[in-house]
Amino acid sequence: MSAKKCVVIGLLGPTLDNGKGAARWEKWRPSVALCQHTDLIVARFELLHQPRYTNLAETIEADTNQISPETEVRRHTVEFENAWDLEEVYGALHDFARGYTFNTETEDYFVHITTGTHVAQICLFLLTESRRFPARLIQTSPGARREGEAPGTYEIIDLDLSRYDRLASRFTQEQEAAVSFLKSGIETRNENFNRLIERIEQVAIRSRAPVLLTGATGAGKSRLARRIYELKHREHQVQGAFVEVNCATLRGDAAMSALFGHKKGAFTGAQSDRPGLLKAADKGLLFLDEIGELGVDEQAMLLRVIEEKKFLPLGSDREASSDFQLIAGTNCDLKSNVKEGKFREDLYARINLWTFQLPGLRERVEDIEPNLNYELEGYARREGTHVTFNKEARATFMRFATDSEAHWSGNFRDLNAAVTRMATLAPGGRISLEIVEEEIERLKSAWHTETNGAHSACNHALAQLLDEETLAGLDLYDYLQLESVIKVCRESRTLSEAGRKLFGASRDRRRVTNDADRLRKYLARFGLEWQLVCGASIENARS
Amino acid sequence: MIVIDGSQGEGGGQILRTSLALALVTGKRFRIERIRANREKPGLLRQHLTAVLAASEVGGAGVEGAMLGSSELTFVPRSSGRLAGGDYHFSIGTAGSTSLVLQTILPALALAENPSTVTLEGGTHNQHAPPFDFIARAFLPVINRMGAGVTAELERYGFYPAGGGCVRVSVEPAKKLARLELNERGAVRECRARAVVANLERGIAEREIAVVREKLGWSDERLHIEQVREARSPGNYVSLEIESEHVCEVFTGIGARGVMAETVAEAACDGARVYLASEAAVGEHLADQLLLPMALAGGGSFTTNNLSLHATTNIEVIKRFLDIEISVAHVANHQWQVNVG
Repeated sequence: MSAKKCVVIGLLGPTLDNGKGAARWEKWRPSVALCQHTDLIVARFELLHQPRYTNLAETIEADTNQISPETEVRRHTVEFENAWDLEEVYGALHDFARGYTFNTETEDYFVHITTGTHVAQICLFLLTESRRFPARLIQTSPGARREGEAPGTYEIIDLDLSRYDRLASRFTQEQEAAVSFLKSGIETRNENFNRLIERIEQVAIRSRAPVLLTGATGAGKSRLARRIYELKHREHQVQGAFVEVNCATLRGDAAMSALFGHKKGAFTGAQSDRPGLLKAADKGLLFLDEIGELGVDEQAMLLRVIEEKKFLPLGSDREASSDFQLIAGTNCDLKSNVKEGKFREDLYARINLWTFQLPGLRERVEDIEPNLNYELEGYARREGTHVTFNKEARATFMRFATDSEAHWSGNFRDLNAAVTRMATLAPGGRISLEIVEEEIERLKSAWHTETNGAHSACNHALAQLLDEETLAGLDLYDYLQLESVIKVCRESRTLSEAGRKLFGASRDRRRVTNDADRLRKYLARFGLEWQLVCGASIENARS
Repeated sequence: MIVIDGSQGEGGGQILRTSLALALVTGKRFRIERIRANREKPGLLRQHLTAVLAASEVGGAGVEGAMLGSSELTFVPRSSGRLAGGDYHFSIGTAGSTSLVLQTILPALALAENPSTVTLEGGTHNQHAPPFDFIARAFLPVINRMGAGVTAELERYGFYPAGGGCVRVSVEPAKKLARLELNERGAVRECRARAVVANLERGIAEREIAVVREKLGWSDERLHIEQVREARSPGNYVSLEIESEHVCEVFTGIGARGVMAETVAEAACDGARVYLASEAAVGEHLADQLLLPMALAGGGSFTTNNLSLHATTNIEVIKRFLDIEISVAHVANHQWQVNVG
């Protein structure tokens, strides 16, 4: 037992503490009984009661003084009419806690939760749990009847869970599991990266504030955003969908409509209501990648949604609302964008609360091997073929991959592509030295081309939409046509609008004028959909 | 420094109280370790702490380890001379026994420079502690025969669990306690039974008296019922007083919730019957109490019908503080001879 004085804060129990005449001593009265224990000395009892129970409180004070001369009873009236009204009771107890001078250096506080209504007990619990009462809980119960009940027993409950060793190790395990989850189970070795993920885990679990992920293309922003969403969904912190938007693919009027939605008839071609992506993210998580590419008007709208959770869809006179957690991604220096006037300063301030810089693959060479294994496992899962390197092949690839000559400019995207190519080409699921050498040449040449600047923005757009194989199988004719069609799509707000632009000249001469359908079918030939082309995807979390 | 093992013998609060009483009289400092080590709730409990604090107040003593649950305590009396005496007031929590606190400080006050008064509030008739009637009618007369002048008045009854009892004690000290030989009780002169009820039905006392009449065969004029009004809570006890030529003994049964009146009375009767059947001068409880004053007097002797673990533990502790011989002989069935000095 400590040498600190024991101070109890408790509510008078109008029922349990009540008793008349000498026979009241035969009855178990929790507030009095608490001061009757042989192994507990209550130095002070802060007895809280409603004004109407003053007489009873005085009896309890006198009886406590008689039974426990060591105890000083201080009576406090608390003002609440209805002891079952949580708001009222909590308010009154909160006022008491705020006005009370706690001296935890010399006094040990206990909140007595046996007396009072269940609502009062809940309030006392909440106030103690939130440390407004820097106390432990004390619960009393009557003794066996034949022992005359008094003083019964008491139980001290410490709500500081970190004090319980077994629980503490359980929490550590849980946290480790969450961190591992964010890393997609990859056992990364890079210390900086591991620390970063631990911090993100803390923020993701505790905060709903916007998060900004920075880092080069392919550093894994998108994958991390999705993992954060899945973690929060698993912890029941978000219920809605994961909505991912690449702002670089949103251009002109189409951007506004795609993000904030429109009313039917808001503009030519707006044939029905469209709720927009922000609405789709309601109660979920919105990942805005390449946020630096967002237009100025959209920035203003977005700021308002972040601050007020409200926005005005195009052509609508009624505000819509959406409450989502925002994760923004960027690979450019937003601060200099702000200086140049391309990015709103206030929006930057809003999203710059939790900024995490994801290191590129070259800064994490020790993580290449675990990621290589992860990619191989991923391939096996996707394709149902188990693929391994032979020993020499693996050593050669790792030597190249971790060499300073390896640019890894596309970061994990490059690694993923390299593994997919090698695995596809591997005879009998075994990656040989020849395949590795071939791949090394391929990577070197790709990085060489890149550094020579022969990489058009649109080529990039097609490369993002189509996989390597499809792309390689396209005739130049189809390639050029698709490239232009996608450009028109991205400058349009709806599928119909794009269809009208593309097939406008022949429109008057045709009997059937379903241009939207014609466009949809065209895109489908390449395995593409409108949503995908416009840089957005909506997914509900897998349970 | 005298070091006492608090877990030896009886292993409870008695070792502590005897040590405190001896330290106050002798002025010797002591440390007690392993306090109540083998009990369910080890270490100092509230009533022990009260005794420690009372002793330290009376003796102006320094104390280390005086807190709940403490398993070690060091007690350093201020001086080795006689205490000054004074007026004291002690309130004992949880309806704790007033007698046990008095027992701790009385030897020192009985040998102090000046008279003292002590007001004690708490329980006056507790289980497992000498009831007031025993103190006033059996114990104090013996102390007074050794030269002190101690009187005790019951101002208000105090029963468990409410307590609130009050006892006033005045102490006229002796220069030195005189030897006392209590080997014969002599002829029984008077027997009295009292059944006391406070805030309870008279019927309970009537049932208890009926048991006494049947078990001990005492005539009606010796049987009394007392209904007490001034007690704060319900309470009941049966007190049997046996006054002999050389000594007065008191046997008590304390009522408790859930215990039948007949059982309470039988407990008192059993004690009295064993005592009366023997030839011993004093009963088990008075024997416990006589060891310390006789040792302080430098000598004495008594016979008892039973020597309890309390008594043998007391002997051990006394020998640590005082250079004195105490011998115990089992002379017959239900007959022990104790010689001090």
